[in-house]
Amino acid sequence: MKMKQFMALAATLTMAFSLTACGSSNKSAEEPAASGNETENAAKTTDNNEQTSPGELKPEDGASLVVWESKEERAFTDEIAKQFTAKYNIPVKVEEVSPTDQVTKLSQDGPSGLAADVVIFPHDNLGRAVEAGLLLANDTYKDETVKNNTEASIQGVTYDGTLYGYPRAAETYALYYNKSLVKEAPKSFDDVIAFGKTFTDKAKKKYALMWETGNMYFNYPFIATTGGYIYGKNGTDKDDIGINSAGALESMQTYVKLKEILPIKSGDINPDIKRSLFNSGDVAMDINGPWELGGYKKALGDNLGIAPIPTIGGKPAISFSGIKAWYVNSFTKYPNASQLFAEFASNKDAQLLLNEKVGSIPTNKEALEADQIKNDPYISAFAEQTKNSQPMPSIPEMGNVWSPVNAALPEIWDNNADPKAAFDKAAQQIKDLNNGATK
Amino acid sequence: MENYRSKATILSVLSMGLGQIYNRQFMKGIVFLLVEAWSVFYFSGSLGRALWGIVTLGEEPRRLVRGKWVEGDHSIFILVQSLITLLFLVLFIIAYIMNVRDAYKTAQKREQGQQPNNFKQSVRYMLDYKFAQAFLTLPTIGVLFFTIMPILFMIMLAFTNYSAPNHIPPAKLVDWVGFQTFKDLLSLKTWSHTFFGVLTWTIIWAVLSTVTTYLGGLLVALLINQQGIKFKGMWRTILVIPYAIPQLISLLVMRNMFNGQFGPINQYLGYFGLGGLPWLTDPFWAKVTVIVVNMWVGIPVSMILIMGILTTIPKDMYEAAEIDGANGYQKFRIITLPMILFSTAPTLIMQFAGNINNFNAIYLLTNGNPVVGDYQYAGATDLLVTWLYKLTLDQNKYNMASAVGIIIFLIIASFSIYNYRRTKSFKEEDMIQ
Repeated sequence: MKMKQFMALAATLTMAFSLTACGSSNKSAEEPAASGNETENAAKTTDNNEQTSPGELKPEDGASLVVWESKEERAFTDEIAKQFTAKYNIPVKVEEVSPTDQVTKLSQDGPSGLAADVVIFPHDNLGRAVEAGLLLANDTYKDETVKNNTEASIQGVTYDGTLYGYPRAAETYALYYNKSLVKEAPKSFDDVIAFGKTFTDKAKKKYALMWETGNMYFNYPFIATTGGYIYGKNGTDKDDIGINSAGALESMQTYVKLKEILPIKSGDINPDIKRSLFNSGDVAMDINGPWELGGYKKALGDNLGIAPIPTIGGKPAISFSGIKAWYVNSFTKYPNASQLFAEFASNKDAQLLLNEKVGSIPTNKEALEADQIKNDPYISAFAEQTKNSQPMPSIPEMGNVWSPVNAALPEIWDNNADPKAAFDKAAQQIKDLNNGATK
Repeated sequence: MENYRSKATILSVLSMGLGQIYNRQFMKGIVFLLVEAWSVFYFSGSLGRALWGIVTLGEEPRRLVRGKWVEGDHSIFILVQSLITLLFLVLFIIAYIMNVRDAYKTAQKREQGQQPNNFKQSVRYMLDYKFAQAFLTLPTIGVLFFTIMPILFMIMLAFTNYSAPNHIPPAKLVDWVGFQTFKDLLSLKTWSHTFFGVLTWTIIWAVLSTVTTYLGGLLVALLINQQGIKFKGMWRTILVIPYAIPQLISLLVMRNMFNGQFGPINQYLGYFGLGGLPWLTDPFWAKVTVIVVNMWVGIPVSMILIMGILTTIPKDMYEAAEIDGANGYQKFRIITLPMILFSTAPTLIMQFAGNINNFNAIYLLTNGNPVVGDYQYAGATDLLVTWLYKLTLDQNKYNMASAVGIIIFLIIASFSIYNYRRTKSFKEEDMIQ
């Protein structure tokens, strides 16, 4: 009886306590939205911002930063964070988030104040992030950023006339080849097919060339080289879809012809399999990005060669390029420290460090001229391809393109669908997605 | 005899606790008064905003004013906060009604000449006679806020336009759109085609995967349990291993094993002079593959379950059947199968419901591929639940995803309730003691 009483009393007390606790925490959660407090804060911090002269941002007292970085390039960020902390005495914490997921995560965690202060993602996500109001413009360091980096990279990190990003690396893909199997890098895809007829042997699982045939990113040359495009007016007009234009279909003829030397379903090609086949010499050529460079160098040694992507229809192949850049979260508590970090982690020295650690292509003009880059045959081959690349469109509607095209490509590759019919269907789907079908 | 009742009722309607104080239950009255005071304080600050929020979902988005961000309304936060406030309101109303009833009843007792309980007596009364109710209050509140609220929130999302790219807060507001999302899902050609395609495959998958694993497990269990089988422990162990390996590993390995060009499965077939099959790249064979692999993963569970039940069947039933001259098949059909079905029917229904939502098998093995050209963000082997995952995490179409979520819930709930009510274990709960 006594025990029972005691238990019940305890229960009632906890209940009463939890009720009040719930109530008060709820109250405080509501406050920022309800009052004008936040607005004042925002105004105050930006006022601070104005008082200091550009280029000499003063970090907030007691600032500490959180930075998102991919697992692959973490070695660089750990190092640059160490240098940054040494110079400004601001602690930096690195969290691993895949760059392609960062905008989604930022749109959820940003408003709740849980996201990183400085984030990194490829520029095709920029429109989505800006439209959702997630980023602070790069205004303090605008002039320096524009002056120091290549035009393409600045174009990539600019949206609607405003500069947002602090570019740190350009990414595109090129043709990796195994010198012991291919004497000289092929100039055109016709050369590739000619070589493939002597090399490809389905029974022995040997293939002249392999790439992800179902992924639009790697297949953009077969759309763009002879005049196709995703969105018109440099990727800013969502109503002008060019994947089924006459130019795109002309390049697609080469794509269709390549089936002869790569008689595999696109679903059977995945990065893991491709990597192991290329490393073992069963695949002679691979269209891939700089992120594979380290592994391939280790596996093939001096036999590794990199060349621009072969020509299509007599024209140099146009690849997709992506600009990886730092961006400052607009919800950050320490905008000044964040901008300082973004600047610090994207300047010439940082880009050279990044190249050294993970083998990236700098966007900084001076870094591109540095011996470290110029004398590296691999990086300079990528740099060569970059000249013939187009930045991915960065408008928010870019997100609607991937799935329809990634569905159309396997239709053509696996089921011999007519490219025109498949791309017409994809274009229609993109149009539906852009205009209201999903609101 | 005085008329205490109406006075006490009116007083307690005016404010919580007044009726109790009138009834000379001072402590109780003060506790109620405190609850009232706190609630009035809380609701005066938040109720108006909650009502405004739930109706409008915010009016001012976060926006740039001369290069500076000015905070606005975050529709989703507002929705959650309003929901919390309204749930508190519901609790408050319940407490208020209890307060009025209590005042009324005590006054009634006073009219009959009974002395109202003092505080100590009230507490004792509660502990002695209302112990369970008092003790369950806390979990109930927990359930309300941690179980009911998220579900309400998800249901509400289906009636908004919360989706990328045009309605993602804080820079854009979210609005109520009523049944528009459901209408789009069922009537817009691109969406409805995907939805019905995925739905059909989900049902086929759920039926086939449940039946195959169950029958497979039954077969294996019966075989191992036969008399004269040696090394029973070894057979059992070997067959259970697939279940013991985390699916995250085994299914990802399977994905490579079934690779049409480089996977070992097709290589084996090649050694025997057979042509390989497009296991994961052809829509039909991909469906076959996931069902076959799911058997590999799922049969051990059924096997263990059924083995357990086999041991509970009394041996004398078989002996009696043998004396009557029953053969092996008859024994199985008349004794074994009904006993097993009787005990496992509820589990079977759970497995069916679980298979409708079998995220692992599909997501890890095929990721929904091969892609289908005219599907909206889905592939040939996508179940509703993996499609929902893609809609939420890859495409940020939250409203569409929660509409699909509600539909999945309705399907599973109706199937399960219907089937469960028809099973013998439900009708004859006391058959086996």
